[in-house]
Amino acid sequence: MYKPIAYEITETINFTEEVKLFRIKSKINPMPGQFIEVSIPGIGECPLASCAYNTDYIDLLTRNAGNVTSAVFKLQKGEKIFFRGPYGKGFPIKELKGKDLILIAGGTGIAPVASLIEYIEKNRKDFGRMYIFFGFRNENYILLKDKIEKWKNKFDFTLTLDKKLVPESNLVCETGFIQDIIDKKKIDFKNSSALICGPEIMMKCVSEKLMSLGLKKNRIYWSMERRMECGFGSCGRCQIQDLYVCKDGPVFRYDIIKPKIDNEESANEVKT
Amino acid sequence: MQKTLPKKELLNFIKILMEKYEVIAPVKKDKVLSKFEIIKDPREIYLNEITTVPVKEFFIPEDETLVEFKDGNIIENKGEIKPRIIFGLRKCDINAIEVLDKVMPCSIYINKRKNTILIGIFCEKPDKYCFCESMELNDSGYDLFFYAKDKDYYITIGSKKGEAIVKYLNNAKKEIKLKYKNKKILYDKNIEHYYKNKIWDSDAEKCLSCSACTVYCPSCNCFDIKDTLNMNLKDGIRTRHEISCQLKSFSRVAGGKSFRDSRLSRFKHFVYHKIVYYKHRKGRYMCVGCGRCLRACPTKIDWVKTINILTGFKKKRK
Repeated sequence: MYKPIAYEITETINFTEEVKLFRIKSKINPMPGQFIEVSIPGIGECPLASCAYNTDYIDLLTRNAGNVTSAVFKLQKGEKIFFRGPYGKGFPIKELKGKDLILIAGGTGIAPVASLIEYIEKNRKDFGRMYIFFGFRNENYILLKDKIEKWKNKFDFTLTLDKKLVPESNLVCETGFIQDIIDKKKIDFKNSSALICGPEIMMKCVSEKLMSLGLKKNRIYWSMERRMECGFGSCGRCQIQDLYVCKDGPVFRYDIIKPKIDNEESANEVKT
Repeated sequence: MQKTLPKKELLNFIKILMEKYEVIAPVKKDKVLSKFEIIKDPREIYLNEITTVPVKEFFIPEDETLVEFKDGNIIENKGEIKPRIIFGLRKCDINAIEVLDKVMPCSIYINKRKNTILIGIFCEKPDKYCFCESMELNDSGYDLFFYAKDKDYYITIGSKKGEAIVKYLNNAKKEIKLKYKNKKILYDKNIEHYYKNKIWDSDAEKCLSCSACTVYCPSCNCFDIKDTLNMNLKDGIRTRHEISCQLKSFSRVAGGKSFRDSRLSRFKHFVYHKIVYYKHRKGRYMCVGCGRCLRACPTKIDWVKTINILTGFKKKRK
């Protein structure tokens, strides 16, 4: 259950100083939103989601943030990386079929959403209209540029930057947070489902905006981040009240997960 | 059908078991400490009190190798052990093992469980911290269970493995079943809607986040996975370590964010996990009412009393 398997890195792409993509030859093809426990023997494990959906390779968008990811960062093409999985439930594809979808992601949170977009590309007729919003801090933080260019032509795709460093550049994008620009689009919010992945504060603000525009709270889904050590509901590290992010999630319906997060946060406000 | 064993024959009975099995039983170490240990002599066994340390370390030790990295290979720990018997488990201990069974799906744990025979014994003197009666414990999970009455032990058989051990003993003429009588009672366990109640604040203020409650809890299983590298920087081991939800680092993710940042949220997580969350998922309480967390707490936090006040069963706090 804990035995990782070795895979080969076939390509690495640098996006920013902090973020690299590792393409790994593997046939396991996790469902969009699922995660795998990536590891380096002797260093440790960390949960990451693939940002590709296919049977040839896994794409790991890795931010140099912790012990393991900083070790992963040093790996080169041709070297071995280990993982076990996939774990978790991923996006509720069945529930989304036939619906209009709003896909929203920020920063490295685009990884699971990118995988979902690729899934939808392959099964386009199963879904209704699609609106995609990707947010980044500024031009220097844009990830998956090639895919974004492709999706811009294929879908109703909006790229937004919190702050545009070079206002006169010819990059087609909005400026501002996603929650501030989303109502510029004519979307039938009442009949859409929204799938969000990003920092928790961003998911919170965007969800509030979406609900004010008429989207039902049981049609908003969050892809969550927690400390997932085992991946199958045993170690207890990723618990949010009675839910295990690794096993019940990492994708949760907003109306289910939000009250539980609020409960825990209410207790954090009392500084003891 | 129960079997009987004269009390004076107990040491002999254990001796026979020791020929075939590794026998683990409660041993008194000093004035304050008693724990389960592999015994060398049946006379070491001490059954007069609930052990300070729970039995879980024989299933989920403090440190345990999951996989070993050696010469480019990865070797998985299968949890292979010699057949063993744990004798002298109380009903709470056995129920705690049942709780662990539902959250430890790995083969290491399962193999250890398969190769362990559990022999329970009726607890005659629950102390002032015991509240097992309130926790709706199962009367199952054991291979054998001993009830002491007059000059005999009456032995209930719980499994085929257990039956084989006591085959040679006499059948009991009548069935004996005894009941517990606790002084401490947790009256109402329906606390889900009291999560935001201010009453928890005063307990959390006393809490030192020392994590003694979770260390001594027989059903706490949370762990950390850690790698250790050998001096050659190639080989090493991946281990799981006991860890406590009472520590800030428990929920910390890369980047430094800890999701249960305050002592209050961590303390409530412990209590609610034991009483509410596990019940939601698995249909039974995680807490088995052994009272070890209350005994071990250096600042004497009594969350059972707090719940009783909360739910209106005891108006005043001492």
